[in-house]
Amino acid sequence: MRLNFTTLANILLILLVGGALWLVERHGLIGDYQIYIVKLIFINAILALSLNLIYGFTGLFSLGHAGFMAIGAYVGALCTLLPEQKEMMWILDPIIWPFSVLHTPFWVAVLAGGVVAMLFAFVIAVPVLRLGDDYLGIATLGFAEIIRVFIVNMSSITNGSLGIKGIPAEATLLTCYAWMIVTLIVLARLLFGNFGNVLRCIRDNEIAANVMGINVFNYKVLSFCLGAFFAGVGGALLGSHLSTIDPKMFNFLLTFNVLMFVVAGGLGSLTGSLLGAGIITVLLEWLRAIEEPMDFGLFEIPGIPGMRMVVFSLILLLIILFRREGIMGTRELTWKSLRRLGRKKA
Amino acid sequence: MKLGKRLAGLAMLALTLGFAGQAVAAEPIKIGVYLPLTGQNAFGGQLELEGIQLAHKQMPTVLDRPIELVVVDNKSDKVEAANAVKRLTERDKVVALIGTYGSSLAMAGAEITEKAKIPGVGTSCTNPLVTMGKKYYFRACFIDPYQGAAAATYAFENLGFKKAAVLMDMTNDYAVGLANFFSRSFKKLGGEVVANLKYSSGDQDFTAQITELIAKKPDIVFMPAYFAEGAIIMKQARELGATFRLMGADAMDNPDTVKLAGKASEGFLHTTFPYDPTMPTMSGEAKKFTDAWKAAYPEKDTNVNGALGYNSYFMIYDAIKRAGSADPEAITKALAATKDLVTPLGTVSVNATHDAEMPVGIIEYKDGKRVYVGEVTPKQ
Repeated sequence: MRLNFTTLANILLILLVGGALWLVERHGLIGDYQIYIVKLIFINAILALSLNLIYGFTGLFSLGHAGFMAIGAYVGALCTLLPEQKEMMWILDPIIWPFSVLHTPFWVAVLAGGVVAMLFAFVIAVPVLRLGDDYLGIATLGFAEIIRVFIVNMSSITNGSLGIKGIPAEATLLTCYAWMIVTLIVLARLLFGNFGNVLRCIRDNEIAANVMGINVFNYKVLSFCLGAFFAGVGGALLGSHLSTIDPKMFNFLLTFNVLMFVVAGGLGSLTGSLLGAGIITVLLEWLRAIEEPMDFGLFEIPGIPGMRMVVFSLILLLIILFRREGIMGTRELTWKSLRRLGRKKA
Repeated sequence: MKLGKRLAGLAMLALTLGFAGQAVAAEPIKIGVYLPLTGQNAFGGQLELEGIQLAHKQMPTVLDRPIELVVVDNKSDKVEAANAVKRLTERDKVVALIGTYGSSLAMAGAEITEKAKIPGVGTSCTNPLVTMGKKYYFRACFIDPYQGAAAATYAFENLGFKKAAVLMDMTNDYAVGLANFFSRSFKKLGGEVVANLKYSSGDQDFTAQITELIAKKPDIVFMPAYFAEGAIIMKQARELGATFRLMGADAMDNPDTVKLAGKASEGFLHTTFPYDPTMPTMSGEAKKFTDAWKAAYPEKDTNVNGALGYNSYFMIYDAIKRAGSADPEAITKALAATKDLVTPLGTVSVNATHDAEMPVGIIEYKDGKRVYVGEVTPKQ
């Protein structure tokens, strides 16, 4: 790796933000509520980045994200829960060995969540990725539902529809940040090299890619599995962040939430995914103010539940109407583009 | 149009002035409410909010301080529920919390209240995991194992049935919990469970399961479904000529059950919370609740979810009064010590696992009408 200005600046920025977060968490500079939302932004960013790799960069319309997240979350939870907790919570069917005694450190659990999700992705990728476009979307959506049904029915491993609670809250602000940075670096290194060009080529014209001698299928499987890995990581972090999971939360709406981050941010832009996840997560919380009773001095409006979603949907609608390609389009925010911007102004 | 707007404006003005006039110098006690007011569970959340608001109207002040409700929607979503509770405890600084309909939502909320050390009272989250190991979380309802055991006791002891079967929605934690504990209690009492059949939420056709049930010849089939699915099961069982009795649980407690099932509801039984407008002997509190409800919402029937919302508020109100302070720790202690509190849902005591203990009511449908036949306390 050449140590040039860009790399140095990147490392410096990452460390600076990390240090700031560390200080904030340690000294409680901002409220718990704010920390909670920031953590959620990081997790959502991981999910958005991973889906962007599959959909935005490779052009695979995959709706199976909730399934991969569910796998990651359950594997992560099973790895971090204490054996006593498991014994107490599995009230329908007792938990079976080896899951009953499984206990690993948190980072192993998150990694395991990602790896298992990737294995599942590999198994379904081989038959499913032969499909294209909408058909792929339907097949992956079906896959996610199958995962959910499995979780519901395997109650001696997953506690069925009762769900799991009390997952140790080890996803701290810094951990979430670190995992997001790892995701970002891995994806950026891959996508801004030859690998990324191949994926974009497949997305833009599959036949051309084939003619050029690219093994399209292999690259698609690779991209799909990598995306699933980070979705699993995100799922495991989300489980630890909420400290409770159940099969119902991994329905298709979750996939659409992630899809929303990606599309609003810009398909095929890593910066866009970060922005999309950040803006939408903050907006959803911030808009709660609309639902509170408002006192305008002279008159008062009682809070209307659901108003928030109306306004939120309007904003999304405006984004899609006036910036169909999303906030960033396919552009990225880099030091170079910043410098260019600065020069233009000067 | 214009006149209407002006009138509305005037009404608003009057309302504001009214509130301003009411405002007392004392600082309000803030109680947070997080409920699914939109999304999949909005139906239940709305009913419970009505009950909570009714209770608030009846008991607006405690310790000479006004109570302020801070209502937040959780969109029937787990992440949103956690955010909502975080917001209530951090930003709004509530001293106690009510919520929520839907156990999985309550589980997300309970984790946060535990860390914030703010007491919470669940309205209708009946999954036993919700309060398990939680110091600060309580609930105004009984739990699924308790109700399942009550249903088994009634079927075995009062009705004298020896052979039972279970038909449950696998994807629903409520149904799974109830059905499992019904089977367990029924077996312990000495009965036999001849079949254990499953379906998934949203299914419309139950003929395969019912045919199998008919072949197994149970005396009674326990099906803890929601009323929409429950009504379909009743109808299809009747069409296929089933002779066994059907029994449901409190999710069937809805005025629409009879409307949907029609004649097929004849003889249907279900367990519920010990409140019903048709109760032969109504306690003073229950009567007070019924009258207040009719005055506040004349176009709506009283219902169990409303009563549970009412009770959740009542429990916190009572705890603050007994504690003599609005300090969260003191309220928590007082809540845990709640004993023989007379409420619309009977006498409520909070037990060691923080569930409200009360008898289980039984409702039977006779001649197209619901009849409150009595109460049962579960054995086992």
